[in-house]
Amino acid sequence: MRRFLYADPTVCVGCRICEAICSFHWEKTLNPKKARNRVRRVDPGLDVVVACRNCDQAWCVEACPEEALRRNRQGIIIVDAKKCRGCGACVEACPFGAIFLHPETQKAIKCVACGFCTKYCPVNTLRILTEEELAVLKQQKVIQHECANLLDELRVEGETKERES
Amino acid sequence: MGRKASLGGYAGQHLYVDMTKEQCKAVPIDRQFAITYLGGQGFASRILYDKVGPQTDPLSPENVLIWATGPFTGTLWPQASRYVVAAKSPLTGIFGEAHAAGHWGPELKFAGFDTIIITGRAKRPLYLFVDNGTAKLLDAKDLWGHNTNETEEMIKESHYDPSLRVSCIGQAGENLVRFAAIINDYDRAAARSGIGAVAGSKHLKAVAVRGSQDISVAKPDRYLEVIEELHKKMLDSPFTASRAQYGTTNLVELMQEIGRLPSYNMRSGVFAEYQKISGEAIKNHYLVKPRADYACLQRCGRYTLVRTGPYAYCGGSPEYESQSALGSRCGNDNLESILYGHHLSNLYGLDTISTGSTISWAMEAWEEGLITAEDTGGIDLEWGNHESIIKLIHMIAHRKGFGDILAEGSYRAAQRIGRGTEKFVMHCKKQEIAGQEPRAQKSMGLATATAARGADHLYAFPVLDEVGFDEEIGIRYGQEYLPEMGDRLNPKFKGIMVKENEDFCAVVESLGVCKYGTLIPPVLFYEDIVTTFEVTVGLHLTEVQFRQIGERIVNLNRGFNVREGIRRKDDSLPRRLTHIPAPEGPSKGQVVELDQMLDEYYEQRGWQLETGLPKIQTLHRLGLDDVIEDLRKQKIKLPQ
Repeated sequence: MRRFLYADPTVCVGCRICEAICSFHWEKTLNPKKARNRVRRVDPGLDVVVACRNCDQAWCVEACPEEALRRNRQGIIIVDAKKCRGCGACVEACPFGAIFLHPETQKAIKCVACGFCTKYCPVNTLRILTEEELAVLKQQKVIQHECANLLDELRVEGETKERES
Repeated sequence: MGRKASLGGYAGQHLYVDMTKEQCKAVPIDRQFAITYLGGQGFASRILYDKVGPQTDPLSPENVLIWATGPFTGTLWPQASRYVVAAKSPLTGIFGEAHAAGHWGPELKFAGFDTIIITGRAKRPLYLFVDNGTAKLLDAKDLWGHNTNETEEMIKESHYDPSLRVSCIGQAGENLVRFAAIINDYDRAAARSGIGAVAGSKHLKAVAVRGSQDISVAKPDRYLEVIEELHKKMLDSPFTASRAQYGTTNLVELMQEIGRLPSYNMRSGVFAEYQKISGEAIKNHYLVKPRADYACLQRCGRYTLVRTGPYAYCGGSPEYESQSALGSRCGNDNLESILYGHHLSNLYGLDTISTGSTISWAMEAWEEGLITAEDTGGIDLEWGNHESIIKLIHMIAHRKGFGDILAEGSYRAAQRIGRGTEKFVMHCKKQEIAGQEPRAQKSMGLATATAARGADHLYAFPVLDEVGFDEEIGIRYGQEYLPEMGDRLNPKFKGIMVKENEDFCAVVESLGVCKYGTLIPPVLFYEDIVTTFEVTVGLHLTEVQFRQIGERIVNLNRGFNVREGIRRKDDSLPRRLTHIPAPEGPSKGQVVELDQMLDEYYEQRGWQLETGLPKIQTLHRLGLDDVIEDLRKQKIKLPQ
């Protein structure tokens, strides 16, 4: 199962703490351009955390002329910094804009779903999950939204029956 | 470009921009300067004192406009998003500053600079582009005349980069409205002191920033441990949940409850229709979602949506000050017009507090028959006429018709119109008083009178006596001041409270962090600053040293104002607040006992009681001997 970093854009508030934490975790400094995740605000109202999805058909891997990108046993795509020459072909190939060049080394950097940032999310929406888990989360949300009234009615009915009995 | 300082936290460079010569220059920040004034408000205060004297007209090329961040801006301290913009104020003619959050301040540091210091005046509209350690002035001909959101969009488009950050003025700043704001990240407002007009006078439309440089951390091994503790404290505070839910919008309800919600140009501290403009009403009908600025755990920002009608818009939500200024202050209970009026003020780049307050002054004068349709060009200024309020916001920003007079601010507008309208101006030192009815909270009255930038609730931000923070008062100020200090209606010990708060606020604003989390909720205090400063910057300053830095900045601000002629007589409030008892509500019968509190305050400050001048020994103790010397040269005789 492929795992990746995800935050619900309707819950994420765009504080970018995860970016700062990520850069600190990997580089011991505070610099969003060294973060492996990026928070993009789509004004007004949506904050989207962009991070590598470790696609099954990974175009970045295919695009790399140096074979610097490979998938490990956990299904995570890893950059071999020794091989990477910073050509940026992977950046061009990624449909999500989720792989970047390090501002100093110019080597590719990307989220490896380590999950370090998730425990610092103040609204608790950042998590590492699989597509299957994401689907369940979304189902849950749809149910909560769409069926809220129905559930209320059921509850009221139930309470009435209880009282009557 | 210059060499970087070795301190953590700082970017290490000032950026000097000469608009007249269209030149930019990077200058390394001196280590001693950093330790003496910290950053943000402290840096701006010192630079302004040195470069702008009493001879300078605020709208002339000689004024200096300073953007400044602090060593914590862009770090992981909770709410580390802040920057200050300072200049001599065209509204008050004295020390002027405004603060904002968002993502612009951190980005300036990632671009390699702590401050931007603007001098001179360009012959043509320009904007400054700070790009990763470099800076250049670019043509802003096409941007001139556009509102703040359009300006931000256009700059992003022209650089093909929606991630760069923009701080800019709208039409109000271009037209030199005396309470024009600077807006960053679409709707974060550095609003007060008319700072936007100073940018307009220099023909500086915007400052766009981006960068990929580090904010380095001095002690990385200990950093996360310290930060985790701060974050935990912040999230554990019961205030955080409420902030997330309402932001500051539900202060309408809380202020109403203690009679502290100004209505009808501060005649009263309660508003009968308060529920219609409340935080609850916004949450139930217009809230889209809360939103955070950089590294913010409180997320008091939010988006609101008005779906249809003349006031339809989607964007930033007003916070309490705007609800009060455009709402209760003007007797206006039409919430959609308040939301839209706030949005419009952001687009034009107007300070909502001064805007609402100036309109409410005109409304009271209208009711008294002192301003008529002849003055307003036929606009009806009946209390609560929301259509007129919106119309006036347009007219103020463009300086059209009656709006041209209002654009001068209520003090100057009343001077011009005369006819006794002067007594309805709710100001201190020519700046409009914020939405904090001081008869219901005496410390706020004193804070308004002593604040360096003229009427202001944030310079001292005394809030612990508002509603039952006695335990925190005991910890922060001392048990010996209870219960009086905790009683919002008792003037006793408020001089001590305001003095301590002004010092602390100066430290907070100089570090580049928010007053939420430090002042209210009272979670983070000096000891947290000491620890975090050590692991971030790499220097151990003691609590005593931080307190002294705060005091030094406040005295420096006072020195600036003293040089401009400010004395005790100017640390004043309108007669309405000091002599006319609050007419109704929970604080009925109260007045602000200003003189008594001022005596205590000056005593605490080491300033002379009769004049409000800092004593020589006070300035000397704070290492401000050069200020003593400068004031002596200006023929100002300081007391011993």
